Amino acid sequence: MSDFEPKVVCFSCKFSWGYLADEDALASQIKNWVPIICSGKVDAKHVVEAFKHGADGVLILGCPEGDCHYQDGNLEARKRIYLLQKTLQSYGIEPARVSIQLSRDPEGTTIPDYIRKMSESIKKLGPVRRTASPVK
Amino acid sequence: MWKTSDSWGAHVEEAVKQMLPPCQVKCPINEDIQRTNVLISLLPEDIESAKEGIIQIGDYLYEKNPFFNICGYICGLCELECNYKSKGGAIRRRLLKRFLSDYYTDYLNEKEELTISRERENVAIIGGGPGGLMCAYVLSRRGYRTTIFEAGNRLGGALWLIPEYRLPRDVLNTTLENLVRIAGIDVRYGTKLGEGRLTLQRLKNDGYKAVFIAKGTPYPRELTFNGSKVEGQDLSGVMYGLDFLYEVSHGNIEPDYFKDKRVVVIGGGNVAFDAARTARRLGGTVTIVALENEDKSTRDGLPADEDEIRGAWEEGIRTVCSRGVRKVIGEGGKFKKIDCPRCTAVFDEEGRFNPQFDCTDCTDVEGDILIITIGQAPDRALLQKEGLLNEQGRLAVDQFTLQSLQNPSVFIGGDVRRIGFMVEAMKEGIEAAESIHRYLRGLAMRWGRKRDYEPFDLPDRATYKTPTDVVWIPPEKRLHFQLFERGLTLKEAIEEAKRCATCGPCISCKACISIGFEKSLYAVEVDEERCSGCGACVYACNYDAARLVDRKGKLVSETDTFRCKSCGMCVAACPSEARTLVDDSTYDRIEKMYASLS
Repeated sequence: MSDFEPKVVCFSCKFSWGYLADEDALASQIKNWVPIICSGKVDAKHVVEAFKHGADGVLILGCPEGDCHYQDGNLEARKRIYLLQKTLQSYGIEPARVSIQLSRDPEGTTIPDYIRKMSESIKKLGPVRRTASPVK
Repeated sequence: MWKTSDSWGAHVEEAVKQMLPPCQVKCPINEDIQRTNVLISLLPEDIESAKEGIIQIGDYLYEKNPFFNICGYICGLCELECNYKSKGGAIRRRLLKRFLSDYYTDYLNEKEELTISRERENVAIIGGGPGGLMCAYVLSRRGYRTTIFEAGNRLGGALWLIPEYRLPRDVLNTTLENLVRIAGIDVRYGTKLGEGRLTLQRLKNDGYKAVFIAKGTPYPRELTFNGSKVEGQDLSGVMYGLDFLYEVSHGNIEPDYFKDKRVVVIGGGNVAFDAARTARRLGGTVTIVALENEDKSTRDGLPADEDEIRGAWEEGIRTVCSRGVRKVIGEGGKFKKIDCPRCTAVFDEEGRFNPQFDCTDCTDVEGDILIITIGQAPDRALLQKEGLLNEQGRLAVDQFTLQSLQNPSVFIGGDVRRIGFMVEAMKEGIEAAESIHRYLRGLAMRWGRKRDYEPFDLPDRATYKTPTDVVWIPPEKRLHFQLFERGLTLKEAIEEAKRCATCGPCISCKACISIGFEKSLYAVEVDEERCSGCGACVYACNYDAARLVDRKGKLVSETDTFRCKSCGMCVAACPSEARTLVDDSTYDRIEKMYASLS
């Protein structure tokens, strides 16, 4: 178990995260990262698919409350993540594997830190136990 | 740091009929307010790094409006229509532009001249105020050789009458000097149409193929009562606000000019308040006497801006409302007092200026100095001499094209035609330039020019933020000619710009495309077979763009492409995958990322 390195998928809103940085340079430091125009655009399906493809965690970075360029996309995303956590739990995927952070970092330098932090807590959980049907 | 691009896809499209954010509809020159608010909101928080972005935003605004930095001090018309007004306060767009100005104005000194070959006709512009300069700027950018004939020894016209505590002289000077340099406009100072040999005929003979007359209103309006001139305006101590502000702007008035003097200012407009606040700063005890009443929301309310009225009040200026002036009374040849009957109505039912008085209710206002600031008038004698008036003695000009009805190569606009705000004169300069271009190229003068803009509503939002505080120097420390309003800091500017709800359509903004956030404005497509008409998209959309329609008995959703912001929230909300964003590569990128996982 000690050599388990969790794969964390990260979606980050372009309006609050890393917009001042060179995207390619930042991408070289962040694996499995997709900058997206609004955190509210991240579909529940995108999160579920990530787990299907072998992700051990999904991190969504949205704008601070009240800052969303599309009015309330970040709040929608937070609501969606909350519901997803409940649903995924019934499939044996712990809530801690899906996380949302509503904050801001134009340089994007803290994105790897957020991912590292999340990886550490996922490490304790181990890889996702995939089950065919909901856990009772 | 991002780099803005104004390439084809990132260019704001101007349409003849269009929905716009209400601020942009209100702005006479339809400045790209939303786009530049978004860009300001994305500036780095450290000022050294932010400067590069400020210059990029400034350069963009400068293309359409080389006075934008001045607007940042004195305009703010757009704020009157901001949707956010009903949610705690308009976005402080004027201060956002002033913030840009704080860095951009200095940069103007090093800004490169426009590289345009000017092979087209010579055009003469009479008057170097905002209208004339704007016309020259637009024409020069279009390859015309422009010459401004300015009567005085400085450009800027009536902008100089704006007191220095509102518009610093160095900002005005830097803007004007650089504008003519950057745009390659030739200026002849001390040349007045109608004086010496300078006539319209002479200009024509000298090879000027068109003339734009933007001479402004050089004469003050005299005080009248019931249609006849009020006596006593020639008494010692009586002056006109226009002349007073002119002398102050030239530095001809001593700092304590009105010390221990009681100054009475007649007028309720912004210029009257400027004169009053200036007199106060010169040591006077000032009283304003205005026809209008205190309630700005009524037809007969004071026309001056709220900020002017508040500023005057704070500075200890007394305002006497609803009073006209029947007599100016003197003693020993010097002004003593005015006799003021109560004004019962300023405008009549048709909205015409037609003041009514109750002469049984009169009061005297005493003073040592009287400043009459009730409006300005154009040089009618000159217009008459040049044959530009009609039989009724009115300016004979097409209201839409600004072309003279008496002389087709002459165009007339700005204050000389109708007194207005700076930006309204600028708008007339732009329109005149377009007309002159059409006239000289033999194009239809009217075709495709009328713009029909409709404002957008405020989008739905969970939370609204309060505006940044405007900080004025306290009144007791303000009685000098230094700027009394503090500008926004970078941090405040970013926060204030972030408040902008970006009500307008993407097509008139495209900030996200210009800095590479998006590749284009993706259309949302609805697969009507899959759509169950559940309305989840309608709920998700904050812009009222997703709607349900009846298609032969089946309820399906559709998208209003003008309102849609391509945010993708409806796509994420759709439970049956009926909605897709066409050509959006984000989804491919997600797929690629998935593939790399396993």
